[in-house]
Amino acid sequence: MTRHRRLGTAAMLAAVLVLGACGRDSGGGGDAAQPVAEGKATGEITVWAMGTEGEKLGAFAQEFMAENPDAKVNVTAVPWDAAHQKIASAIAGRQTPDVSMLGSTWMGEFAKTGALDPTPEGVDRGAFFPGAWDTTVVDGTSYGVPWYVETRLIYYRKDLAAKAGVSAPTTWDELKSFATAMRDKGGAKWGMNLQPGGTGSWQSFMPFAWSNGADLTEGDAFTLDSPQMTEALAYYQSFFTEKLSPPTDLSLQGALEQSFVNGSLAAFISGPWHVSLLNEQGGAGFADKFAVAAMPRKQSATSFVGGSDLAVFKDAGNRDGAWKFVSWLSRPEVQIKWYQTVSDLPAVQGAWSDPALSGDPILATFGEQLKDAKSPPAIPTWEQVAAVIDGEVEKVAKSNADPAATARTMQQRASGIGTGA
Amino acid sequence: MATATATAPAEATAPAGASRPYRIRQGLAGWAFATPFTVLFLLFMAVPVVASLVMSVTDLRSTDLRTPFAVEFVGVDNYARLLDDAQFRRAALNTAVFVVVGVPLTMAVGLAAASALNSGLVRFRAAFRVGFYLPVVTSIVALAVVWRFLLDPEAGLVNNALRVVGVEGPNWLGDSDLALPSIIAMAVWRNFGFLMVIFLAGLQAIPTELYESSRLDGAGRWAQFRHITVPLLRPTLLFGGVVTSIGYLQLFEEPLVMTRGGPLDSTLSVSYHIYNQFGFGNYGYAAAVSYVLFAVIVGLSVLQFRLLGSRD
Amino acid sequence: MRRRDLLARGALYTVLGLGLLVVVGPFLWAVLSSMKPEAEIRRIPATWWPEVFTLGNYRELLSRLDFPQAFANSAIVAVLTTLGNLAFCSLLGYALAKLRFPGKRALFLVVLGTLMVPSMVTFVPQFVMVSNLGLVNSYGGLILPFLATPFGVFLMRQYLLSIPDELIEAARVDGAGELRIFARVVMPLCGPALATLTILTFLASWNNFLWPLVVATTEDRYTLPVALALYSVGQNRIDYGLVLAGAVAVLLPVVIVFVLLQRHFLRGIATTGLK
Repeated sequence: MTRHRRLGTAAMLAAVLVLGACGRDSGGGGDAAQPVAEGKATGEITVWAMGTEGEKLGAFAQEFMAENPDAKVNVTAVPWDAAHQKIASAIAGRQTPDVSMLGSTWMGEFAKTGALDPTPEGVDRGAFFPGAWDTTVVDGTSYGVPWYVETRLIYYRKDLAAKAGVSAPTTWDELKSFATAMRDKGGAKWGMNLQPGGTGSWQSFMPFAWSNGADLTEGDAFTLDSPQMTEALAYYQSFFTEKLSPPTDLSLQGALEQSFVNGSLAAFISGPWHVSLLNEQGGAGFADKFAVAAMPRKQSATSFVGGSDLAVFKDAGNRDGAWKFVSWLSRPEVQIKWYQTVSDLPAVQGAWSDPALSGDPILATFGEQLKDAKSPPAIPTWEQVAAVIDGEVEKVAKSNADPAATARTMQQRASGIGTGA
Repeated sequence: MATATATAPAEATAPAGASRPYRIRQGLAGWAFATPFTVLFLLFMAVPVVASLVMSVTDLRSTDLRTPFAVEFVGVDNYARLLDDAQFRRAALNTAVFVVVGVPLTMAVGLAAASALNSGLVRFRAAFRVGFYLPVVTSIVALAVVWRFLLDPEAGLVNNALRVVGVEGPNWLGDSDLALPSIIAMAVWRNFGFLMVIFLAGLQAIPTELYESSRLDGAGRWAQFRHITVPLLRPTLLFGGVVTSIGYLQLFEEPLVMTRGGPLDSTLSVSYHIYNQFGFGNYGYAAAVSYVLFAVIVGLSVLQFRLLGSRD
Repeated sequence: MRRRDLLARGALYTVLGLGLLVVVGPFLWAVLSSMKPEAEIRRIPATWWPEVFTLGNYRELLSRLDFPQAFANSAIVAVLTTLGNLAFCSLLGYALAKLRFPGKRALFLVVLGTLMVPSMVTFVPQFVMVSNLGLVNSYGGLILPFLATPFGVFLMRQYLLSIPDELIEAARVDGAGELRIFARVVMPLCGPALATLTILTFLASWNNFLWPLVVATTEDRYTLPVALALYSVGQNRIDYGLVLAGAVAVLLPVVIVFVLLQRHFLRGIATTGLK
């Protein structure tokens, strides 16, 4: 496609072998955001989006094309499985689309490749949830906008809670006695499911660390061995030593929902997608048996915010059109319509006043939690550091590792990896 | 292709090295036969392999993908780093256990199935063949769904069957001592059909006259198997052994879909480690680990050629 | 003697039957479960026969993805890849097994060597190559990199080694050219090996996921596994019903190819004159 670059790989390779490696440009120079031209969008805009979003976005964009008659949005749906690999390869082969949906924790890595276009002036960062906006900011520059968000809450069985005589927990102490009562009086085998290590368990653990005042980084350095982190690990561990939480990963075995439905599990932490999963699997009437509660408070009551961002590529053939499409998707009224189309929670705060969201008690709780929700720093090494946390949390949960020693190991291993700055 | 179709001269039957024109002609024919493959091979295999080798001596990360030539040459640093990588050591141990136990087991089951189907005693061979081959052709994701239900500690079919005989089955995939054996069982189940097909092709090339004449000499089935089947099947067995070892040393899909390498890294394989490192964006390091794995594969294959091979 | 045979036969059937049960059982469950609603699939303990019989999973797949297009793409890619492999791998396999030419040993070792290179490590360089050749999102990009598979060469060479040299020498004495010997004398003897190579190549291509996903940049180039993955595996949820229905939909054509080839497999042996 890039005609002038149709240089044989072999030739380039030979050149490298001869010249030796050339070394990185020092610094690389700060990216400066370019303005976007006024007026309506024109031309073809190619978009990649994953899963359901990719499936529905094409038809959804009709309205944008009606507003911009000279523009044509072409959406390619990409399977979630291996979407990361596809985008990384596309960057290497310079075959990127104009716009792509990117997982919010991928931003640091892809922005650092230099493939993403900085967010132009005029995009109002204040319109988005702050935790979500932070996922786009790499080294002080924003490279995209949040598209939709998700955050984690406690799902619990209302009927078991009533039987056990407890109400939704609001503090760490209450969460512990809540889980104990659910098991001892509510009749559940497990009072509360915390992910016992394995991929993604940092998303289950970090809310406790954040709520206790711990942070992942300060500047370019990790701060994983803080006393707050140790205390959070110890608290997390106590759910396993007191047999409140199952020691095997129920979600990996596909048994989480069934255990919750049949009452052997009284509570778990998860995101908004579980509402529909539980309603499907619990059958008629199950919706009345469960509720959600915000994360319990320690220093704060902070949860994790994830979701996906929209980014424009530097190699975009239609950069202006791409950004116009992105800002159209960020309009509050469009975000509400998008929620109604695919149930993605709006990343734009203004959209949440709509009765479609604020009128639903479960969604309203998610909306409330989003105001106090953090994301990990947008660093290119994040996935690797996350895997370290996953592995160490597993040792705390399963092999009774000492929390303080674990925090030190986490810090040491993460520092070995670095923040990629 | 003109050279290939050229009529061979009469001295073609002469002992090797007898005639120069003959040798030249055969040399040309050889390269004419080899060229179509070799051209594609150079483009799509050899060059990428060389590129990845270069990658393994640089600090290329995914953040450099857009400017792959602006990386630092780090020599053997990536290879040296391996020695300090505790996760890699664990992965290497797991992979070794998997290969040492899994390869002979899979070959034995595959050969048994092939011999049984080739024995002439069995009807409906096609049905058995298709049946045994099914796991090879099915996507691993679908298999994972089925196997998770089979191995579920509370309600899985396996533990239900054990309960019938009064044994309370363990948590197969959740126990760090049992997860790897479970993965081995699944791999044998999934892959023996492949070897069965390969071995069947080999078995059918063995002339039945040999069996008939040995039967006249009073040889039993076991003796026939040892003295006719195994020696004549040697190239095929070698092929099966090498290919299975190469595949098993790259164990990846089973732990990916069944255990994600856990619990506590007990099913983390070298290939899974490589996959993770690529996922983390450590391209240079991942390439180095890949070439260490490559060296082990080559070493094992050479060993097998020595032990099982004839003069080739 | 006859009684021993009967006993042996009985034992053999029992063992094979049990084996078949162990191997096919999970498939039966998968096929049956693809016709259950999602909640029933996930139920623990699992059911065998669907309590609620539904074709909803299949209907949903058919309505959501462009099945004919994805199927056609998969078929085109798999058939051309297989034909190419049959031609190129047997040509080189024959040369390596039966011809003398300079560089033969080196070529064999290099080809065998790349068979042992973990495929993950060459993925990105391969994609960059395809991208530089302008083959992204084309059938060429989907097919060409898989025409030169070291595995096929290795398979053909090993098989051809077992074909007696005398046959080839005899043909040379009769004045046949090399290509003629290859096509008329050697290939007809390779039925089982070619059938095996066909099955394995076709399957590998048919089930391939990562490469077509990355090379195809528009949905009209998606192969079946890629298109199916679009709907069954989400970011936070897996739809088991769609996974199983998709697996059955991918599996069916493959089983048909396999069953059809079985016959050729047997005929190939019957006509070799070896039996």
